Amino acid sequence: MVSMTRTIGAAFALATLLGAPAAAQDLVIRCGKVFSMSDAGEIFAPGMIWIEEGKVSYVGPPKACPEETPVVEYPDGWATPGLIDIHTHIHTGGWGDINDMVHRINPELRASAGMRPDNRLMRLACSAGVTTVHGIPGSGTNISGFGVLYKTKTSPSFEDAVVRDPGGMKVAQDSNPQARAGEERFGCSRAGMGWALEDICEKALAAERQGRFDPAIENLKKVLRRDLPAVIHTAGGDGVGNTARMWHNKYKTQCCVSHGSFDGWKVAEAIAEWGCPVNHGPRTMDWSSSRNGRINGSSAAYAEAGVPLFSLNTDSPVMPQEELFLQGAMSARLGADSYSMLKALTSNTAKTFGIFDRVGSLESGKDADIVIFSGDPLDPRSRVERVWIDGQTEYEYERGRQRF
Amino acid sequence: MGNRLHSFLSRAPRNAGRREVWSSGALGLALSLTALAAPAAAEGGVAIRASKALICGADGRGCVDNAVVLVKDGLIEAVGPQRELEIPEDYELVDAGDSWVVPGLIDLHTHMAGGFGYNDMVYQLNPGLRISATVIPGHSRLRRPRAQGITTVLSIPGSGTNIGGQGILMKTHEVPYEEMVVRDPGSMKLAQGDNPKRWGYNMNRALMNHHIRHSLTQGRAYAESWLRHERGEGPKPERRIHLDIYRDLVSEKTQISVHTQYFQVVLATLRLLRMEAKMPCYIDHGSFDSYKLGAIAEEIGVAAILGPREVMWARPPAYDTEGRAEGTAWGFQQEGHTLIGFNTDAPVVASEELPLQSAMGVRYGFDNSQMDALRGLTIVPAIVGGLDDRLGSIEPGKVADLVVITGDPSDPRSVVDFVWIEGELVYEREEGSQVW
Repeated sequence: MVSMTRTIGAAFALATLLGAPAAAQDLVIRCGKVFSMSDAGEIFAPGMIWIEEGKVSYVGPPKACPEETPVVEYPDGWATPGLIDIHTHIHTGGWGDINDMVHRINPELRASAGMRPDNRLMRLACSAGVTTVHGIPGSGTNISGFGVLYKTKTSPSFEDAVVRDPGGMKVAQDSNPQARAGEERFGCSRAGMGWALEDICEKALAAERQGRFDPAIENLKKVLRRDLPAVIHTAGGDGVGNTARMWHNKYKTQCCVSHGSFDGWKVAEAIAEWGCPVNHGPRTMDWSSSRNGRINGSSAAYAEAGVPLFSLNTDSPVMPQEELFLQGAMSARLGADSYSMLKALTSNTAKTFGIFDRVGSLESGKDADIVIFSGDPLDPRSRVERVWIDGQTEYEYERGRQRF
Repeated sequence: MGNRLHSFLSRAPRNAGRREVWSSGALGLALSLTALAAPAAAEGGVAIRASKALICGADGRGCVDNAVVLVKDGLIEAVGPQRELEIPEDYELVDAGDSWVVPGLIDLHTHMAGGFGYNDMVYQLNPGLRISATVIPGHSRLRRPRAQGITTVLSIPGSGTNIGGQGILMKTHEVPYEEMVVRDPGSMKLAQGDNPKRWGYNMNRALMNHHIRHSLTQGRAYAESWLRHERGEGPKPERRIHLDIYRDLVSEKTQISVHTQYFQVVLATLRLLRMEAKMPCYIDHGSFDSYKLGAIAEEIGVAAILGPREVMWARPPAYDTEGRAEGTAWGFQQEGHTLIGFNTDAPVVASEELPLQSAMGVRYGFDNSQMDALRGLTIVPAIVGGLDDRLGSIEPGKVADLVVITGDPSDPRSVVDFVWIEGELVYEREEGSQVW
């Protein structure tokens, strides 16, 4: 998917500015710390990352490298893999064009139709180290369509940015679809919404069994075969439990509870036992069950319950995409452990979405999506020094203090 | 009754490491008699041992490693390194381990006196109204800021009219009204810019500024007629209670907190309120491109208390920054401004997220190498609010508003262990009772 050809225009201008050829250049990065975010959990201090042909070819302690390979040094910098957010809506460049609400069940729709590559919000994301993003339809209907998985490159080319289209399916349960489509438009509540979702799944499974082609549900079939993931908007103890029972336990999809806010954490132990991933945010605190004014950190609650794959989201632009790190920081503030929250922004998110073979950690063979922070990535006072996507510099603080 | 007693007893510093519960009136009475019988001076104080004490003095940016802070009679008695400062035997020791001790934080822009009704909007100019009428002592809304180490807040009227009324400076612990008030009036709230425009009648900035000028001119004349009278140079003026606040302003016993934000609005603040009317005032909010006036504000003595938006996005042609986001604190600092603080406008931003405001200021470029983020939460608001003789730093003789926290307070991941107000332990993190 990685295209080495770049279109002219902004991308060309950027490449010229950087004095680099359009294709990603081989490069060695030496820095103070490297968080590999691999399963082995290696942290190298100091560390080195070697980029060859847009991929990571070496991560580890500094070692000798060929003289002709350029070296950049960030002696105080901390390197992490590019951050990943699988619940976002900035692909259209703002709030618009994310909810088609004519029908309640829309597995035939694709968010990519509204995608505006290299929009301002994507640039902000990139400048804060967010490199891979799943842009999805809104939660106005129960199945609002399929998202588009892309990288936040400064390229106006759709092909250049998109990693996978369709990325994954967006389902919405709980109160948003109930308020906007359910009760208001179709006169039904959660029971009716649940029935509508199961009905379309059963129809898709029947079509699959009968070998019947139906353009409206071909992608849904892929979700039910686990070929594509699903992001399920759901919240509260009742909603979260229902979602996990339907999409994880019954239909056995590669799904995640997305949001899981309010007192959703109260079913965390059951979710953990079932092994259903949780993609939490943008609200990571809960007052709803509080008796004494106490704020409960819901990230910490999910993590402590042992949810196997816990990740964070911004629901951007609900929260600014460039504040994805802050979801981790605020979760840490409310009791979660910082390193686990860094996993929740990188490796765990990639695993939840089935893209850990390409992104989410710094390991040999993976995409060279790399962020250098001036210090701890979860400390708001750290700034992003430089971002590479597929080995190409996409943001650099030193050039004109283009902070965002 | 419980609260009053509790606070009364607190004048004699109580055991800091232990929570005591005053549940029965009889017990309370007995104890209050004991307290009366034993003068406070005869009791020991509290010694806080911490890995760092951040002093936040007016000029210095001092930090004492392996520090001890001695607290007695509600005041800071001494601060210094453990190897130099001896802890008297009858002092109770609070060992904070690796945690740091810092001054209590101060938020100069909040709307959290307790009740409702921050905007009386019958008239456009309301210098006589007092937000103190809405204060509910012990309100649960004060619990979270207290647990975050915010010990003093200025609660002010809203920005629905050009002069919303008088704010109140108050403490965040659970004591009777008289004891929580630090100063009333804490400020006069004046609003320029967009919010008060909505008051009505297609009013715009020119008319608003005219009305503000009218009130300031009237107020100054009234205040000066009293000053003349007090010097024996004039007759006793007729009392006009809606202008009384100007007597405090002209004699600099309080100041105007000005809701002001865009470049042209802040320019009007500086010219109209400070240069022309010569009122003590500070910029509140100071958002968008107003930092470009930082040098002028510094020169004429107008501080900048920024927030709850610490960043300006480029929106050419109005604010052209060549595509980059600029931090407002960074901007004022670049312009050479030296009194930069932070606010939350709580509940616009949760009160307990005051430190996060400073962290985001640093994220957007504010130089924190000299602890200016923490200073912007402590000594700077103390100076701006006219409280620095009592609050804002860890210096002998100042009020013992102290916070023990696991690390730098401007990192949101740092957790508050203990909070003292006037030497009384008002928050202690324990399993099951912590706020977060």
